[in-house]
Amino acid sequence: MTRPGILKGWFLIRRDLPQSRRLALTGVSFLLPLAIWCFVSYIPWIWHPDVKIELSAEREGVTTVFTAGDHVSRKFFPEFVEAVRTENAAVLSARAAGTSERGAKRKNQKLLRQLAPLATQHGWLPYTEAQNDAVLYTLWRDIATGAKATSKPALTAENLSVVRKNWALLSATSPTFSYKALPDESLLKLVPQGKPANPIYLPAPDEVISAGLRDFSAKVPDGELTMSQRYKKSLGVIFMGFFWASLVGIPIGILCGVFDFFSKLFEPFVDFFRYMPAPTFSTLLVAVLLAGDAPKIALVFIGTVFQLILVVSKTTRLLEPSLLEAAQTLGAKPRQMITHVVIPGIMPNLYNDLRILLGWAWTWLVIAELIGVKSGLTEFIETQGRFRNFDRVFPIIILIGVTGFVMDQFLSFLHGIFFPWTGTSGPVARAIVKAVKQPILAIAGSASSKRAIQP
Amino acid sequence: MSTEIAIPDYREQSHEVASRFARLRQRTFALEVRGLTKLFESSRNVVTALDDVSFSVHKRELLSVIGPSGCGKSTLVRILAGLETPTAGELRVYGEPVSGPGSDRGMVFQGYTLFPWRTVKENVMFGPQMSGTPAFTAESEAREWIELVGLSKFENAYPHQLSGGMKQRVAIARALANQPRVLFMDEPFGALDAQTRCQMQSYLLEIWKNVDITIVFITHDLDEAVFLSDRILVLDANPGRVREIVEVPVPRPRSSDQLFDPTFLSVRKHIDNLIHPPGQEQKDAPVLRMAVADPDVV
Repeated sequence: MTRPGILKGWFLIRRDLPQSRRLALTGVSFLLPLAIWCFVSYIPWIWHPDVKIELSAEREGVTTVFTAGDHVSRKFFPEFVEAVRTENAAVLSARAAGTSERGAKRKNQKLLRQLAPLATQHGWLPYTEAQNDAVLYTLWRDIATGAKATSKPALTAENLSVVRKNWALLSATSPTFSYKALPDESLLKLVPQGKPANPIYLPAPDEVISAGLRDFSAKVPDGELTMSQRYKKSLGVIFMGFFWASLVGIPIGILCGVFDFFSKLFEPFVDFFRYMPAPTFSTLLVAVLLAGDAPKIALVFIGTVFQLILVVSKTTRLLEPSLLEAAQTLGAKPRQMITHVVIPGIMPNLYNDLRILLGWAWTWLVIAELIGVKSGLTEFIETQGRFRNFDRVFPIIILIGVTGFVMDQFLSFLHGIFFPWTGTSGPVARAIVKAVKQPILAIAGSASSKRAIQP
Repeated sequence: MSTEIAIPDYREQSHEVASRFARLRQRTFALEVRGLTKLFESSRNVVTALDDVSFSVHKRELLSVIGPSGCGKSTLVRILAGLETPTAGELRVYGEPVSGPGSDRGMVFQGYTLFPWRTVKENVMFGPQMSGTPAFTAESEAREWIELVGLSKFENAYPHQLSGGMKQRVAIARALANQPRVLFMDEPFGALDAQTRCQMQSYLLEIWKNVDITIVFITHDLDEAVFLSDRILVLDANPGRVREIVEVPVPRPRSSDQLFDPTFLSVRKHIDNLIHPPGQEQKDAPVLRMAVADPDVV
């Protein structure tokens, strides 16, 4: 059976694809989830079980108040709208019958603020001045007279007529805001408006991007950390923990790999200890090391070092034993076999191990930052998560992921530069090595000739 | 039939060859092996890998060790190089008893065992560096050894950039740079293709001619053993014992033309008979139930 032409060459069992196709697929592997996210977010008839309120209203005798930005279920929203319409109808009929409610000044003031979310959305009011009644009052005028048109969201025809009817009453008493001049009888309420939305835990890509940009460029009050400071702090915890783990783990791992003595002395306990989850030590660490970064670093250390010892000892044992025998027949002493054969021989694999273990250390980031005094990026995630501001949480999660991924790719690229002799370097790495090698050889050459002059 | 008649007795030596052997016998012993025995003990049984192996090699002689697979060739050479300890027996290099590995005995392995992180030059420098030779001296010496094996163009290449034959030449240069008194070679050309192998054998003889070195060469290739050696030590298998030490009557200098000389064939046939006793193939040949009878394919 022949395959259709277009698929030919893409599905070959255990065969590598050509470079261009590989690159294309790498791109697709990232674009695909992104595309799914966009589809779910931007195509209204896919999912969207909620309505995101853009214009809200208070109902008489109901204590639950929705504000703009709140999500309600798609089933409930029409009930909400109907309730407000019914109230408006009651106000109109009372007005017609001449039995209008009196003493509604306070209620009317609140009602005027219904336009506040629109005003901030359009940039007519800063976020912090959503209760500036004087400006809101002029806004009612401008919308009623058509001097200002709303676009995000646009008011429905129904609401435009509400605005005009209200403004007719308001302008009759005062052209500018004054509490005393507010009409005594009830004004009409704007009917709630909203758009289909996904649950709050799945913000759309543009919301995540704009929230991320806002958070990263935002000025923060004194005493709080900016996002980039938080980021540095988080990276600091990881790197310090990983640094100490490497400093302790690599020598022990190499010793275990070289000498059965150390292997049998250390490895059984290490094997046992690594099954105790690092977070179980968190309270203990805080008690011993007190608040601050020390217990966090210690947690990353504990979470990493035991794996590291085992991995390094295994890597050391994987060194071709015939290389050691060759060194022996060339007159290498035991100490020289370690310094001149074992250590240089395991370097490339050790480097890869460390790269993988750095990824392992990343996974402790969140837990480490939660213990003791919360700090870094995690504190931000925690706080915003509690407020259900998931559009502000996602950028941080993505940032952590991107940092880890980019770092790993970069380190793997450096592997080709550090270890050209493994023959796995890519073309770019080879070019760099070639460019750097000449000067280094020249320096090394002059250094060795100097040494030779000495008797 | 006619070829068989033409082959002389392998013990017949021309005058020239005989007098060369006489002179060789006058030389001091580079290597003496006395009563070497190696037992591998496991919890269930004891395997005798080598049983009372004794022989000696004269200075600047090239001795091959050959035998059927499993005869303990590799064990023998590993013991000689000091990588394994014998259960019993004695080993002397120029009269001095030795144990454990040392720079007086070099070794070339079948797997190339070059240090992949070192360039060709750095590989050759390894031995002298270990014994504390200053880098500059070691480097200039290494250059000479590399030139000897004809790899000057590649002195800054890494092993992964070299072909199998080139790697093995580096390994030889590396062993020689350490200036050992005896060089052991454990099937050094076993992993090479037939053509490269022939080249390497000629190379080795050329190097041996120019360097003051005694070589013990392990192989399972009859032609290789006859082509290279002064004498061939034939080992028996299970347990490994010395079957016979054969003097090769082929005159030196050797060339690949001699591969079909009657003297060459005589000694080759003799050793072949020692390793594979005649008639064994037929005895072991399997008989299929559904065997096909075809008089032209026999």
